[in-house]
Amino acid sequence: MEKKQAVLEVTDLSVERSNSLVIENASFTIHKGDYVGIVGPNGGGKTTLLLALLNSIPKTKGTIRLFGQDIETFSNWEKVAYVPQHAVNFDPHFPLAVRELVSLGRVNQNNIGKPLKKTDWEAVDDSLDFMGISNIANKRIGQLSGGQKQRVFVAKALVRKPEIILLDEPVVGVDAETQEKFYKKLSDLNIQKDITIMLVTHDLTAVFCRMSKVLCMNRWVNVAEITKDMQPNEVLRKAYGEHFHFVFHKHECKRVFDDE
Amino acid sequence: MNELFDIFRLFGFQFFQNALIGGTIAALACAWVGLFLILRKEAMIGDGIAHTAFGGIALGLFLGVNPILTALAVSILAVLGISYMRRKGMAQSDSAIAVMLAVGFSTGLIIISLAGGFNVELFSFLFGSILTIDQTDLIIVSILGISTILILGIFYKELLSITFDEDDARLIGVPVKPLSLAFNLLVAITIVLSIKVIGVILVVALLVLPGLSALQLNLSFKKTTLVAICFGVLSMITGILLSAVFDVATSGVIVFTAAAIFLFTATYRRLE
Repeated sequence: MEKKQAVLEVTDLSVERSNSLVIENASFTIHKGDYVGIVGPNGGGKTTLLLALLNSIPKTKGTIRLFGQDIETFSNWEKVAYVPQHAVNFDPHFPLAVRELVSLGRVNQNNIGKPLKKTDWEAVDDSLDFMGISNIANKRIGQLSGGQKQRVFVAKALVRKPEIILLDEPVVGVDAETQEKFYKKLSDLNIQKDITIMLVTHDLTAVFCRMSKVLCMNRWVNVAEITKDMQPNEVLRKAYGEHFHFVFHKHECKRVFDDE
Repeated sequence: MNELFDIFRLFGFQFFQNALIGGTIAALACAWVGLFLILRKEAMIGDGIAHTAFGGIALGLFLGVNPILTALAVSILAVLGISYMRRKGMAQSDSAIAVMLAVGFSTGLIIISLAGGFNVELFSFLFGSILTIDQTDLIIVSILGISTILILGIFYKELLSITFDEDDARLIGVPVKPLSLAFNLLVAITIVLSIKVIGVILVVALLVLPGLSALQLNLSFKKTTLVAICFGVLSMITGILLSAVFDVATSGVIVFTAAAIFLFTATYRRLE
């Protein structure tokens, strides 16, 4: 089997926040094209991990390499897109149309003080099209439903043409059907555009049905390949505790995700 | 009919042309800067800086320097002071503004008492005297106003990005700190250039009302900006003309017009 390129290599990472150790000695590797579900109990350090990967918070020790380069000196940040947890909690009265919001994803270090070009707007329209939201391009963001907001923010991340997208609990507060459609869209992104995806979620069924790896964490980090005959409970119990029991049947995937 | 004819004749006078040109530039800059201030929830910084600028005006009159220039220096110091207090955790935004407002205004009062009062001239800066804008004033207002408008235009997408989500802007590589500082300086500049037009006390109306009226219409950001600017300029020109017809204080009528537009758009939104 061809060895896939390592997109993210974390070695011995420890991160402290407000004087307490949130991540301890984490080491793992994510390869190009992986679709990783990040799971673990609340307070287990999931958001902290994403922020550390983005070099947004200082690490106590360890190294993080993105595309083979140490993040301290990494400069190709346009390859990395991030959809934070709070993204959808914007001021609903903010006067911004969907297309304008997505176009903000094209702002970067190289075009400061210059207007967006025609190619930028083409990328915006492509991204809206891919996410299936061209019909709401001129709608005010305050008028969107929960599911539409998620898609808009992924479109904004996508418009940068990233190679990896980090999403922090993007499906909180939307109904099950909308969630499923959203996961389907992310699978399309992963497969059709070969974009590596790392997604913080509490939806374990989605993780084991859709994704290629599960990153389980509770201060420590363990990454496991999701295979046909793996036992999810073995992976999850260490994080969620001995009394945790996740009832998971392979046939659920068929019911939950009708495209498979 | 006679009154209409009189207004028409007014356009021939230099002082009236100066008023219209200076007023339009000030209204345009105020509406644009003001929209960002509203969205950043910092509208009161406008009022704070304006009152601080009063200290600068008194200083200028006392020293015999053009008061607009001293007001500019003092306002910039006030902006830097407010951001310093915020950054160092000495005070929240609103308290920092309150401190600067009080210190600036009392500086003005002390200088006035030392000078034994400047009476009329100082009064004109407090409440504006758009019809006394001379060539020098107009040049200063134009340079400051056009620079402000140009900078806002150049950094339009970055300022929007910072205003919408500062953390995200930082992450995608927008230089948030220098641009925020530059924006605060533009606030100071805009306020100072508007003092002669509308006065220290009422400049906040010119900053806030046009943007607030435009926000009622639920438009995109680009359209909201354009409509806010139109509302600002419309208030200014209508205000100047109406005050000429009825012979009442110009700045008062400008604010009344802007407030009427706000009332109209807010009602329209609720009826829609």
